[in-house]
Amino acid sequence: MIRIKGLSFRYSGGVKNALSDISLDIGKGDFLGIIGASGAGKSTLTYAINGVVPHYIRGDFYGEVVVSGLDTVKAGPETLARHVGSVLQDIDGQMVSSVVEDELLFGLENFGVPHGEIESRIEESLAAAGISELRSRDIGTLSGGQKQKVAIAAIMALRPEIIVLDEPTGELDPQSSRRVFETLRSLNEENGVTIVVVEQKIMLLCEFAGRLAVMSGGKLISEGRVKDVLMDADKLEGAGVNIPRVATLARLLRKKGLYSGDTPADLRQAEAMMREVLSDAAV
Amino acid sequence: MLRFENVFFYRESANTISEVSFDLREGEFAALIGENGAGKSTLCRLCNGLLKPASGRVTVCGHDTATVSTSRIARDTGFLFQNPDMQLCQNTVYGEIMFGLEYALSDPEERKRRTGEILELFSLDGGRDPFSMSRGERQHVALASILACKPRLLILDEPTTGLDYRECVTIMGIISRLHSDGTTILMVSHDMEVVADFAVRALVLSKGRLIADGPVRQIMKDKKVLDEASLLPPQIPALAMLIGGDFSDVLTADEMAETAERAVRQKGARK
Repeated sequence: MIRIKGLSFRYSGGVKNALSDISLDIGKGDFLGIIGASGAGKSTLTYAINGVVPHYIRGDFYGEVVVSGLDTVKAGPETLARHVGSVLQDIDGQMVSSVVEDELLFGLENFGVPHGEIESRIEESLAAAGISELRSRDIGTLSGGQKQKVAIAAIMALRPEIIVLDEPTGELDPQSSRRVFETLRSLNEENGVTIVVVEQKIMLLCEFAGRLAVMSGGKLISEGRVKDVLMDADKLEGAGVNIPRVATLARLLRKKGLYSGDTPADLRQAEAMMREVLSDAAV
Repeated sequence: MLRFENVFFYRESANTISEVSFDLREGEFAALIGENGAGKSTLCRLCNGLLKPASGRVTVCGHDTATVSTSRIARDTGFLFQNPDMQLCQNTVYGEIMFGLEYALSDPEERKRRTGEILELFSLDGGRDPFSMSRGERQHVALASILACKPRLLILDEPTTGLDYRECVTIMGIISRLHSDGTTILMVSHDMEVVADFAVRALVLSKGRLIADGPVRQIMKDKKVLDEASLLPPQIPALAMLIGGDFSDVLTADEMAETAERAVRQKGARK
C-alpha cells in the first residue's frame, strides 16, 4: 500500500537531512503508529506520504515513495489526495467551514462526487466517526475532541484508502484521546482503512496500533510489531521515547527473575503477566 | 498560601466554577485534575486575579484578589500558560528574561546579573530567538522567565502538553527541584503518570465543582471519583486495582515489582 525506499529529504536551506535513508513498507489494512522526540522527522515522513513533500514544501528529495501504486513525485498531491486523506496537526488550520455539514460538503464537492451520492456519504462518515448528532452544529462551539472527529469524518467522506494523522490528540484530555483512537480502530477494522498516525502518547499507540515505527534524528531506528519494539527499552529511551509503565514493570520483573514472557503493551496483557507471575508463586 | 473560600464564577466565555473551597499551604505540591471543560483553566486564572470571583473569596499570600492589584499578586505568583506563545513576547531569550524581571527588580544591573544566572541555570543560549525553537524549548524559556522572579507560588497550566518525553522530563525535573526548595505548586495536568510521579495532593474538578481533595495515592485508586470526573487512573494503579489483595496500595512500577517479589517469596517459604 505504501512503499518507502531509501528516502532522504532536506528542507531547502536546511543544514541537515530531515529524513535520512528511510525504508518502510506499510501494508493494506495496517495500523501504524509513529513516535519519536520532537524534531525526529515524524511530520516530514507524513508529508512524504501525502505528497506535501516535495510538491508544496521544497527541498532535496532522494529515494522513492510509492502510495497505492503511484510514485508521489510523479503523481502530484491532487491525485494522491484521492488515495490518502490527511489530518493535520493544527486542526483549526484544517477547518474551512463554520458548520459541520459544510465541512464535509466542501471536500465532496471539490472531489466532484455526484450529487445523488453526497447525502449518503455524509451520513455514513458522520456515523463512522460517531458524531451524527453534530451535523448542524457550529464548529466554533465544539470541543477539541469533537473537532478532531469532524476532521476525520470530512476525510472519511472522501473514502481514502489511507488516512495519515499528525498528533491528532495533542490538545485532548485522556478520555477524548481514547475516543479518537477508538474511531480510528473502527475505521481500520470495519472499513479496512490503512492508518498511519504520529502520536506522542505511547500508551495509546501500544493499545491501538498494530505496528510501531520509532524515529530519531531523521532516521527510522526501530519498526515492527508493538511488543517486539517495546522489548528494546534502552533503544527507545535513547530516542527520547518512554515506554508504558506496564512495559517498565515487565522489565523490573524480568530483572528479578520473576518473568520471562512477552512485554505487555496494555493493561489487559499486563494483568495476564501479573497473574502468571503470581501463579508461579503458588506452585 | 492560596485559599479559595466558597468561590463561584460564571461567564459565557469561560467554564463555571461553583462552591469551590480549598487551602493550599506553603510548600505543597497539588495537582488540579479533571476533563476538558471542567473549569481547570478558569480556576487557575482565579488564583492570580486575572479573573475575580463572582462570590466567595480568593486569597494569595494573604492578599484578596478582588481588592489587591494583579501586578501585586504577580510579585509572589508565577503563572505558566499551557501555550508558551501566550507569554513569550521578545525576540531573544535574554530579552525575554530581562522583560519578565522588569517589575521584580528595579536596578538594571541587578536584572542583568539575575538574567545571567538564570540563563546558566537553565543552560539557555540568550541570543536565540524563542520563535525559532521547538515548543518544548519555548516552554523551557517561559518557565525560566517566570522562575527568574522567584515566585513563592507557581501555577502551571498543563506544563507538559505538546512536549515529547525528553522535554517533559526536563521541565518536570525543574518543577520538582523548585518544590524541594519550598516553592508551593499548583499544577493542572491531563497526564496522570506525571501527576502520580510528582504531585502529593490532588484536587479533582468536575463540571466546575471540587468533587475530591486528598493525597494523590488515594485519589488515583478512587474509582468512583475518577469515573465521576471522567478520568482514567494511571496504568500501574489501574493494574493494582485489577489484581487487588496486597497490591491495592501500589502506585509505582517499582512498588508493584517489589510486592510481587515478596508474594512469590512468601509462597515459596510456606511450601
